[in-house]
Amino acid sequence: MTDGRSAASNKGMPLVRIVPETVPCECSVKEDADAGIRSAMAHVIEALTKPLSAEEQAPKRKEKGTPSRIVFNGQLEEFDRFFYKRGWGDGLPLRPPTEAAVREMLAGTDLEPAHVVGEIVPRNGKATVEKIAVNAVMAGALPTHMPILIACVEAVADPRAHLGAYGTSTGSWMPFWIINGPVRNDARVNSGSGAMSPGDIANAAIGRTMGLIVKNVGGARKAIEDMGVYGNPGKYSCVTGENEEMSPWEPLHVEQGFARDESAVTLFFPNCYTQIWQYGSDDKGILATLIYNLPPGRSGLTCLLMTPTQAKTLARKGWTKPMIRKYVYEYGRVPAYRHPSFHDGGGWTGRSPETVPPNAMDSAAIVPSPDHIRLLVLGGPGAFMGLACGGGLPGGQFVTKRISLPSGWSKLVAKYRSLVPAYERY
Amino acid sequence: MNVDVKTSQRIADYEVLSPWADADPVPLRGLAPRPADLAGKKIGLFSNRKRAALLTLGAVERELLEKFPSAQTSWYECTTINTPEMLTEGKAKFVAWVGSVDAVVLSVAD
Repeated sequence: MTDGRSAASNKGMPLVRIVPETVPCECSVKEDADAGIRSAMAHVIEALTKPLSAEEQAPKRKEKGTPSRIVFNGQLEEFDRFFYKRGWGDGLPLRPPTEAAVREMLAGTDLEPAHVVGEIVPRNGKATVEKIAVNAVMAGALPTHMPILIACVEAVADPRAHLGAYGTSTGSWMPFWIINGPVRNDARVNSGSGAMSPGDIANAAIGRTMGLIVKNVGGARKAIEDMGVYGNPGKYSCVTGENEEMSPWEPLHVEQGFARDESAVTLFFPNCYTQIWQYGSDDKGILATLIYNLPPGRSGLTCLLMTPTQAKTLARKGWTKPMIRKYVYEYGRVPAYRHPSFHDGGGWTGRSPETVPPNAMDSAAIVPSPDHIRLLVLGGPGAFMGLACGGGLPGGQFVTKRISLPSGWSKLVAKYRSLVPAYERY
Repeated sequence: MNVDVKTSQRIADYEVLSPWADADPVPLRGLAPRPADLAGKKIGLFSNRKRAALLTLGAVERELLEKFPSAQTSWYECTTINTPEMLTEGKAKFVAWVGSVDAVVLSVAD
């Protein structure tokens, strides 16, 4: 009900008549649908026939004062509670976005603070450079992360990323950020051991900042607009670099059309990230691990995660990235009855009905095409492989944006270069 | 290092900027006029192609026709899932369909 009202308001119809009913979400049982509709039918008829009020005919905008740029003045604990109670946080402590801290963050860009990088759905909030910097300070990011964050905002604002669907869906899709190019090393984005675990400012704060931006700029708030059923810890931060130095293949951003010496960020929305013990350390074992563990219930954009060792093993046997994508598409199959499209004629998997195998025991490709698959080389030594599997919205793509560095970049990098943990031996 | 805690707390006031973004106001639209009675009317049933849409709208159709036997129904299925119909290639067909019915029930079948 609240998400329906919010969605209608965002489309300019705040008073659209909404009839709540008790039909279970994604219901496939006729008796349940019949019972739920029967009990709501009087309200449906009333919504269709009750004369319109004057306000329903011509809704009036609730006047709101000009939002204040400075919103709080006080001590640290009070600040944290003030922001939390307004729904501007993510549950973890925030760093105060003071003028001085935001000014320091803005050293990471040549763009003017008022420059609008993009508008973010569902609220179409304007992601100005200053708002990006404010949320970056709150998340604990560094000025060297600003160029990456600006590209991240361009990515979520790109309609091909489908943030409007993935950011509000019951599917709890998480933004998965992959950073390529020289900026990885400048900004100390981890692509090695434990890249996706806590412990690196860049990997932690870039994702966290984008989580705050989606909420505070885009207006996707939990259980109001973001209707994720279970939620997803990846919404705190799911950021990695690609280990380009150890990979035998061209990096992801080169596959996406950028030059190797450029920096870029790639976004897609999986709702699961899983790790699998490899079936063998040779090429056959590695490929078997992938094709036998693809989940048919996701069936959309898919990122195959492999270590440098596994990638080199495949490369030594002549496997290229395009060959692996094609192989996984062709051999990652299940009997049709195990694929959701068989049960709903294409439905939410976004497949057209004519591509759905007609018989239960027909062989069905799990992923719609080789172009729905990307490979990523990251991580440290070990025998695990990873899968990040996303949704299959029509036209959905891996969205990659160039990262533009500001003047004085080398000096800025040098300023924060020594900011690394020095773990004591014990 | 000796720190005067009371002093440090007193001076540590933070004047902070808002993280909440501005947005251009969306033009507001009123609701379409309502028929006084559904008898003899043509009711549109819009499916968003989610799994429950056909079931729920089918139930709506049966209930409507039972209560208003002289009413008619007209179905419309969205062109692209999760996309506003006016932004799809089905826009012209959709506009014509909306103009041909007296009222519409949209099932948000999530």
